Amino acid sequence: MINNVLLEPIELRKSILRMARVGDSVHIACAFSIIEICCVLYSNFIRYERGNLENPLRDHMILSKGHGVMAIYAVFARLGWLEQVHLDQYFSDGSLLHGLCEAKIPGLEVCSGSLGHGLPIAAGMALAFKRLKVDKQVYCIVGDGELNEGSMWEAILFSGHQNLDNLTVIIDANGLQAMGSCKNVLELEPLPSKFESFGFQVEECDGHDLIELDNAIRSKTKCKPLAVVARTIKGKGVSWMENNNEWHYRRLNDELVQDIYKEWGEQ
Amino acid sequence: MREKLSKLITQNAIEDPKSLVLSGDHGYALFDEILKVRKNQFLNVGVMEQAMVGISSGFAKVGFRPIVYGLSAFVPIRVLEQIKLDVCYPNLPVVFLGDGAGLVYSTLGSSHQCSEDIAALRPLPNIRIYTPSDEKELEVCFGEAISTKAPCYIRIGKSDREVVHEKKLISSDPVTLLKESSKIALISMGSMSSISQQVAKQLKLSHIVFPRIKPFPKSILGELILYGKLIIVEEHSRYGGLCSTILDAFAENNMPIPLTTSISLKPQFAKKCGSYQYALSEHQLDDKSLKIRILQEVENLKVNL
Repeated sequence: MINNVLLEPIELRKSILRMARVGDSVHIACAFSIIEICCVLYSNFIRYERGNLENPLRDHMILSKGHGVMAIYAVFARLGWLEQVHLDQYFSDGSLLHGLCEAKIPGLEVCSGSLGHGLPIAAGMALAFKRLKVDKQVYCIVGDGELNEGSMWEAILFSGHQNLDNLTVIIDANGLQAMGSCKNVLELEPLPSKFESFGFQVEECDGHDLIELDNAIRSKTKCKPLAVVARTIKGKGVSWMENNNEWHYRRLNDELVQDIYKEWGEQ
Repeated sequence: MREKLSKLITQNAIEDPKSLVLSGDHGYALFDEILKVRKNQFLNVGVMEQAMVGISSGFAKVGFRPIVYGLSAFVPIRVLEQIKLDVCYPNLPVVFLGDGAGLVYSTLGSSHQCSEDIAALRPLPNIRIYTPSDEKELEVCFGEAISTKAPCYIRIGKSDREVVHEKKLISSDPVTLLKESSKIALISMGSMSSISQQVAKQLKLSHIVFPRIKPFPKSILGELILYGKLIIVEEHSRYGGLCSTILDAFAENNMPIPLTTSISLKPQFAKKCGSYQYALSEHQLDDKSLKIRILQEVENLKVNL
């Protein structure tokens, strides 16, 4: 349970790139945004057993922003929870993996393609573990755009009220949502003080800095749920994808893939 | 029936430490008993129906047996997507109690009235739907719901109608309460069963009640097809309720559909404020109108024969 895989951001990005190309899929920038968050969570915090999701002692991670699911597929392949063949068949007819988070995939826990579902379920699990007096942590990655949903604030209110100190919520605060910037669509800031006023311990950090993320999550104290406002860049890792909301929707071609590899210094 | 529900909820909490009742700040007096003896097995989440269903899903995933209470106008209507994705998709054993179904909250108006709960839930995979008429039906439906490992919805309508069954039931399958030689059968569920039973007795009609409509008890079709006419009475919309379910079942089983009359709620909001019987009268579903309509159907059939 303590022998975690050390995940490297570049290997996850490469895995996503491959999936997105073979599947000709969308939501690439949404997955690139949460790569470092996933690396830190699965390398340093989440307790699990390689290749065995049935271990009852494992912690739980819920991806509430289901459109980032390619990042989780890439992680699961590395942990031995998903076979590479499924990633290679991504988006094809009769394949296992959908383009949004589906509860049938072991470890994904929830259907979160429709936003506002993951966090309430995470809160329910966290309270259930507390009532059972089981030492299990629940982590939940939420999108900032997703925080437009009322059900998220219901769950945030509930988590603070119930002092869910086994719950860590990481906000992928990339400042962009489906149709524009959060600022223009529906102002969310100041996120840290909002969470604080709902009874959370709040940490704010660079969501692509592994050390800052680690420190933020590690600083968790007792008695309160933790919210980490991770300041991220949508499309992080590819210069022309970064902060370009088109890559919420656009698909890759071979030329663009070559361009990305060149930027990453590889053939 | 509400008193019985309170007892069943409490007894279940005593017998099953994993039972957890959730309410979105609703259910005045219903939870007094459980609060006396198993306070920790009741969770008032606050006025938040959407997150309540998600939270119940989280509890169920960890091994609890949640019972989610709400008015049917809110659970399932307001939270249909949460029921679909958070509970039905992973096929979790969560029991939803939809109280005040139909026009029970007549004086409060359209926000608290609900004629479409069954229609909304029926297409969802995995969910079982119960529609008890009285305490005996409630007992058997509740028992099945808490022991099955699937999502369940129990529709609680007007709860102070006269008792329909004399004997304890052993399952939620349809019950033929009256078997007459007439070619007409009344079919009812929930709050309409009591008055339907009175009318059936007076007019010497057969009467069948449905405590459960999903999964549909298809063995009843062989009996129903023998009647010359079915009159289906429900405090639910014509669209997607008991009548739809029965007609769909004939079609799905490649059987001829018998001559059928639906007596149900019209697709309209409350026009005026008034008592329960008054609210029903806007749909010609109050006791007096119902008797007249059924009598008329019987007369019409005689003329046509």
